[in-house]
Amino acid sequence: MEYKNKYPNYIRWFLAKPKTTGFLVFLIMNIGVAFFIKQRVQIIRETEHREMLTTLENLYLNIDQCLKSCYTTTLTLALTINDNGNPEDFDYIASKLLESNSYISTVQLVPNGIIKYIYPLKGNEAALNQNLFTNPNVRKEALKTIANKKMYFAGPLVLKQGGIGIVGRLPVYKKNKFWGFSAVVIKFEDLLKISKVNLIDTNKYYFKFSKINPNTQKEEFFLPLRVKFNEDKQISKIIPDGNWKLYISSKKQENHYSILFLPSILGFILALLSGTFVTILLNRPKQLRELLDIQKQKLRNSEMKFKAVFDQAPLGIALVDDNTGNFLEINNKFCELMGFSEQEMKSKNYLSITHPKDLSISKIFASELREGKNDGYTVKKRYITSANKIIWVNLIVSSLSKNNDVSNTTIAIVEDITLQKQILEDLKKSEKQFKNLFKNSPIPMWEVDLSLIKNYLKDLNLIGKNAYTVENYFNENPDVVLKCFNFVKVIAVNYKCLELLNIKKGQVLVENLEQVLDTDTINGFIKQLIAITQNNMQLAYDTKIKNSDGESIDIHFRWNAIQGYEKTLERMIISTEDITFRKKNEKTIFKSQRKLESLINTIDGIVWECDIKTFAFTFVSKKVEQILGFTSEEWLSNPNFWRDHIYPEDREFVLKYCSEKTNELSNHDFEYRMICKNGAIIWLRDMVTIVYENGLAKNLHGIMIDITNSKKIEDDLNNSFNLVSKQNERLLNFSYIISHNLRSHTSNISSIVALLKASETEQEKEQMMQLLVSVSDLLNETILHLNEVINIRTNVTLTTESLNLKDYVENVMKVFSKQIISKEITINNLVPNDLLIDYNPAYLESILYNMISNAIRYSHPERKTIIDLKLITKKNKKILQISDNGIGIDLVKNGNKIFGMYKTFSNYPDSKGVGLFITKNQIEAMGGTIKVESELNVGTTFKIEII
Amino acid sequence: MSQKTIWVVDDDPIYQIIVNKIIKKSELFSSVSSFKNGKDAIDALKNALKNSERLPDIILLDINMPIMDGWEFMEEKLLLKPLIKDPVQIYIVSSSIALEDKNKAKNYSEIIAYLSKPINDNDLILIAANH
Repeated sequence: MEYKNKYPNYIRWFLAKPKTTGFLVFLIMNIGVAFFIKQRVQIIRETEHREMLTTLENLYLNIDQCLKSCYTTTLTLALTINDNGNPEDFDYIASKLLESNSYISTVQLVPNGIIKYIYPLKGNEAALNQNLFTNPNVRKEALKTIANKKMYFAGPLVLKQGGIGIVGRLPVYKKNKFWGFSAVVIKFEDLLKISKVNLIDTNKYYFKFSKINPNTQKEEFFLPLRVKFNEDKQISKIIPDGNWKLYISSKKQENHYSILFLPSILGFILALLSGTFVTILLNRPKQLRELLDIQKQKLRNSEMKFKAVFDQAPLGIALVDDNTGNFLEINNKFCELMGFSEQEMKSKNYLSITHPKDLSISKIFASELREGKNDGYTVKKRYITSANKIIWVNLIVSSLSKNNDVSNTTIAIVEDITLQKQILEDLKKSEKQFKNLFKNSPIPMWEVDLSLIKNYLKDLNLIGKNAYTVENYFNENPDVVLKCFNFVKVIAVNYKCLELLNIKKGQVLVENLEQVLDTDTINGFIKQLIAITQNNMQLAYDTKIKNSDGESIDIHFRWNAIQGYEKTLERMIISTEDITFRKKNEKTIFKSQRKLESLINTIDGIVWECDIKTFAFTFVSKKVEQILGFTSEEWLSNPNFWRDHIYPEDREFVLKYCSEKTNELSNHDFEYRMICKNGAIIWLRDMVTIVYENGLAKNLHGIMIDITNSKKIEDDLNNSFNLVSKQNERLLNFSYIISHNLRSHTSNISSIVALLKASETEQEKEQMMQLLVSVSDLLNETILHLNEVINIRTNVTLTTESLNLKDYVENVMKVFSKQIISKEITINNLVPNDLLIDYNPAYLESILYNMISNAIRYSHPERKTIIDLKLITKKNKKILQISDNGIGIDLVKNGNKIFGMYKTFSNYPDSKGVGLFITKNQIEAMGGTIKVESELNVGTTFKIEII
Repeated sequence: MSQKTIWVVDDDPIYQIIVNKIIKKSELFSSVSSFKNGKDAIDALKNALKNSERLPDIILLDINMPIMDGWEFMEEKLLLKPLIKDPVQIYIVSSSIALEDKNKAKNYSEIIAYLSKPINDNDLILIAANH
């Protein structure tokens, strides 16, 4: 803004355009340099010209001098001519003349144009007697000389006597009559010499000598020229005496300018530098200006920001007039804080809103600020709001004026700290409460500072180390532990603590902390140290402490870092609850528990407890080791132990039954098998009771009793019962057989006897007697059969022998050999040759006989009978299989009767229903069984199991 | 009275002779037919029905017989029941004293009674009178 006023517009234009300006400066400088160079060239040229003129003048003067001398010479020579027209003492005078004028090579007298006198004659004989007027080369000149009546120099021309020379001829008149000429000959080189042409700097100039040929009127040059003459740069002078022209020309005009080359370059560079310099110089303010603009923009932004901050700040901000204390500017927050509108606030002064109690201090600060004692201050004070509420604020005041100025505005920043203040108050209160609690706590409490220990342990590099390592370290270094103990700083202890330790003052304890130290305490203390290294904030354990009388007291030690001191452990609360009474109780409980447990362990059964929901066992009595072989620890360590050790066949049922009953919340009692450690299977009776705690089903209690023995007894009993039942059944069956078979005969007998009594004729009598005889025979037969059966059944001492089965089959086949042949029966004895069985020989024979005879008896009438006997081994049992292709038996109808006594299924006269009955009895007596498979009209297969 | 016919089904030949003798002596029945098992009896029954001959009024049936026993006979006879107009009174006459058999007999409505061997005149009189 300033420079706008300082400089006129056009300069500003330049200042604003440094590059253009620079370029302009460069141009101007260049023009200046060019002008200067041009001047220089001019001067050089002029100097040169002058030099040339001077040189030329000198030349001219020298030549003129020479010519004048020639004139004198010729005149002198002419004077030698006497009035007769003859020269006197020509030679003498000529020699004298030559002597004085060395440059004249020859003098001549030419009367009437004929060269008559020559000095020196020697060497110039050729010219003698030459008539000038007849020689066309010289005639014109000679005539001209005469016409002008003046001395005239002819030539340069080729001399008759050789070489080039000039001839100056003076017309001599005698008595106003042309006599002839007085002439001098100067060798051209001599002329040049005399003219000091040689002295001319040939490096600088060219010299030229020309003459207008009188005959041709053309200019002829007489000096050899190697270069082309620069006609612009030449100057000339005419010597009228010879009609000559002298030229001089600058030879190396370019040299002059080469001198200027360097300055021009330098000038150009200078111009360039100046331009650049000016540009840079002008750029500087431009940059500064740009910087200024940026700064201005920033300033504007910050002003805006400030404005925004001012308006929207969460803090109250106000501009205050220092003298009046009035608010000049005030932001929304401030107004909001105070509950006044902006207008209202502006009409107030800061003192009017300050709490009366804070007025004095406010005034002091304000006056200090006014006097410039400080630049600002921070104070916590109270304001009274529009609602007459007291609020606490943190006021930051800073002066807006500079150091030396008298302050007149201040900025005040106000933060509502009512809440903080409240919190602080609460904190103080709670601290007080805490102190009170601490002091009056019914539990002995200590406040200690363990920060020294923590730092010491940190120095020992034990913090964060493995707990085990740390413990070992402390055990090996008791001195470290002691040192740590000495680092314990007791800050305070409460009344109860003093009471516990039986001391009067806390100070006593602080001074004699070692009094509480003994083995138990040290062990506890090591626990604390370990806890510190593990960064545990809490610790609790039971230990012992000694009071001032040296009595040991059981305490529950509890250790907590006060919030905020967890890192440093500067404030730790330790409670040492007296648990002597509790310990005593615990002991009692422990004892009674032990008693209970030993009682439980004496119970001849596994007493157990498990969670009702998870079936996880929480207790198993020691008896388990006796019963199952597993220890209770083994049982408890595996949550699935019970279910895993239930006998697999029972598992499903047990688990199902158990969960069902438990869900019903009904006590239950059931039996199942479990697997012992040694793999044995035992029977258990499990009696389960639901245990309620506070009305809720919580646990299951139960006793498992080993009932393996009673189970075994039960089984044995069952077995023997079954055996007896079977026996009984057989006996009953047998008694039926007996009764039935005997009854049919006895009833017949009784009927016959009745008929016999009532018979009227002898014949009739005889007939009845006959019948009676046959009945008695049948009865006898029946009894024999029964005897046989009874024999089989009661024969307990059956002798067995090792018998070759195949041989026995062969033997039986021999018995039937007749029928085999007549009925064309095929019997395939497929029994292995050397198979031996332990059997009673008679029974074996009987069994085989019955089987084969049955097969033959019930053969099919329409086909040839084929009987196969073979041995099958099934599950280590030998089974003799006898198959036929006979009529078969309808097993659906007769299955239950086939092995009964006197059961016949056909009308064959010799089928008595005894054979199979006896066979079955014999087989069973040998411990085997007999089974039948049959299909009507296809055949029958009997399977006899031989043990 | 004398017009009644009686069949005896029993496998015991001696019993057959004895019963025949007793029946004839009693003169209560017009004819006696003997069958040695259930099969023979049922076949005869079927034949009689087929030829529209007179059916027996009374059958004395034994239980234990080869080929077809008394119970099987009863089952077979039940199948013929729709064809029989006049009811045939059946008496089980067996030497078996098994309760099982006696109870089984009660399952058949046609079985009038279960008699144990031996039977005598009085039994026959009662049988004849019952008809």
